[in-house]
Amino acid sequence: MEDNRPDLIYKSINRKRIIILLASIIAALAALITDLCVGSSGMGIGEIISILLAGPHGGDVGTLIIWSIRLPMTLTCVFVGASLALAGLQVQTITNNPLASPYTLGISAGASFGAAISITMGLSIAGVQWIGTASMAFIFAIGVSLAIFFLGRAKGMNTSTLILTGIIMNFFFTALQQYLQYTASAEVAQIISNWSFGNLSRASWASVWVSAVIFIIGFLIMSRLTWKLTALTAGEERAKSLGINVERLRIIVFIVCALLIAGAVGFIGTVAFVGLVAPHCARMLVGEDQRFLTPVTTILGSLIMLVASTVAKLMSNGSMLPVGIITSIVGVPFLFVLLMREGKVR
Amino acid sequence: MISLHLQNITVEYGDNRVIDDITADLTGGEMTAVIGRNGVGKTTLIKAVSDLTKHSGKVTLTDGDRVLRPKNEISYVPQLGSLNTKLTVFEMVLLGLVDTLRWHVTGEQLEKVSNVLSQLRLTGISKQPFNTLSGGQKQLVCMAQSLISNPKVLLLDEPTSALDLRHQLIVMDLAQKYTEETGAVTIFVVHDLMLASRYGKKLLLLHQGKIKAFDSAENVMKPELLQSVYGVELSIEKTKDGYFSVVPIKPYAHR
Repeated sequence: MEDNRPDLIYKSINRKRIIILLASIIAALAALITDLCVGSSGMGIGEIISILLAGPHGGDVGTLIIWSIRLPMTLTCVFVGASLALAGLQVQTITNNPLASPYTLGISAGASFGAAISITMGLSIAGVQWIGTASMAFIFAIGVSLAIFFLGRAKGMNTSTLILTGIIMNFFFTALQQYLQYTASAEVAQIISNWSFGNLSRASWASVWVSAVIFIIGFLIMSRLTWKLTALTAGEERAKSLGINVERLRIIVFIVCALLIAGAVGFIGTVAFVGLVAPHCARMLVGEDQRFLTPVTTILGSLIMLVASTVAKLMSNGSMLPVGIITSIVGVPFLFVLLMREGKVR
Repeated sequence: MISLHLQNITVEYGDNRVIDDITADLTGGEMTAVIGRNGVGKTTLIKAVSDLTKHSGKVTLTDGDRVLRPKNEISYVPQLGSLNTKLTVFEMVLLGLVDTLRWHVTGEQLEKVSNVLSQLRLTGISKQPFNTLSGGQKQLVCMAQSLISNPKVLLLDEPTSALDLRHQLIVMDLAQKYTEETGAVTIFVVHDLMLASRYGKKLLLLHQGKIKAFDSAENVMKPELLQSVYGVELSIEKTKDGYFSVVPIKPYAHR
């Protein structure tokens, strides 16, 4: 009889969720180490660990490869994956739509076009080019987010409205980006082209620090909203009746998501489907309680990016295959399955 | 004694005045049924009372001589609609305490949820996802979510729509028990005139955004009054159990 007490059952479910959270952290750490070890130089794990422990100041080739190339790439994967997954989860929550994500809503396409404009114009802020690129990505990401917000408010956030909006946004910004590529010099056109694939070869310590700071700010803001966001999954009317200002919550979340997406896209370009796949997998593992769903989603986002990066390195044998191609190959069938399931529900 | 005073409540959507200058006093420990034709503003009225829709006029809540802040004391249970969350029953009810929840859910909060689930006989389904429940179970869970915060005013928007006869009575009996035991003011919007007259100590009949009648069932369940509002010829009788039985005969041709 004692075992049937609802509070004890609830506690036991939460204990399992904590174990899943810890297991996902261990899996992500394993993926991180694997990604660091994979590369064309053929260094073993022992050598890599000793280079890491020795610090970045050694003058040998190994130190240069690990500290200047592999570690920035791997850590960029961690924070970009986490940012895209977090943004994906929260746009799904505030639109109450399982098919929403930065990519399917066209926010990534907008951000990517903003970055492309910046690259074409050679825009830099305070003499630093990446600030210009990231800022333009943010401006366009926020523009698309607000367009979706107002459209959703006028027409409702149903699946077909949102996905059609995403298709329109994707077509529109892809066309504009193609125009930029067509009219730009061959060198700039090549950079923009690489941007649209999501390429980790642009990773640097600047991208690590900026994407890390943006992710941490985004994560902390979302963490303060966990219960309100959980209540929103119980429906807009119900959330309002519980005293939650849903409009205000949506605006805050859209702005934070635009920042997260710009932080990711501004450095490595468009990476599709991480924001769609990670939240769904996390939901299957820990349910809808955002206290667990938010951290597990971000860890799975990092994990997916790390695995994609490792696979990209293994497939390309020396050169770096754009990681966005790998995530798309996995993501498209996933989106298809989701669409089929949505169709059944409706 | 809890009392709810509605004073000159008006709701306008553009040029359309949906609720027109409604004034009424409602007493604690009693249920009031809001009835009327489709689109007459029944839901809008209770949304205005719960401050979920923009309105003019004043809502005052008192407990004896004390004036209470309505925002903290009113709980609105919306129509069930197509709500399809995968949150468990326990989590749904816990969300009723959303204002006080932190990362760590306290033992006291867990106990409150367990008690409400036990009172509503929902203990056995506490870990079931909400989207797998029957309509009746869903409505009970939504009521539990509202009742956990012990509201002084309970507003129910069509609580029995889409429920079978048994669950209609279970849900309404629950609302009545809560109202009588806590002395709360309960207002429920309902289309079924038999349920309205059975559970409503008073019936508030809305017509064209105004109060057409606000009185006991005995005085509102009159064929001539209801026929003029609903545009339907009605037969109203009292059963041997003392409940009203309403049979619609035919709609008036000119309506």
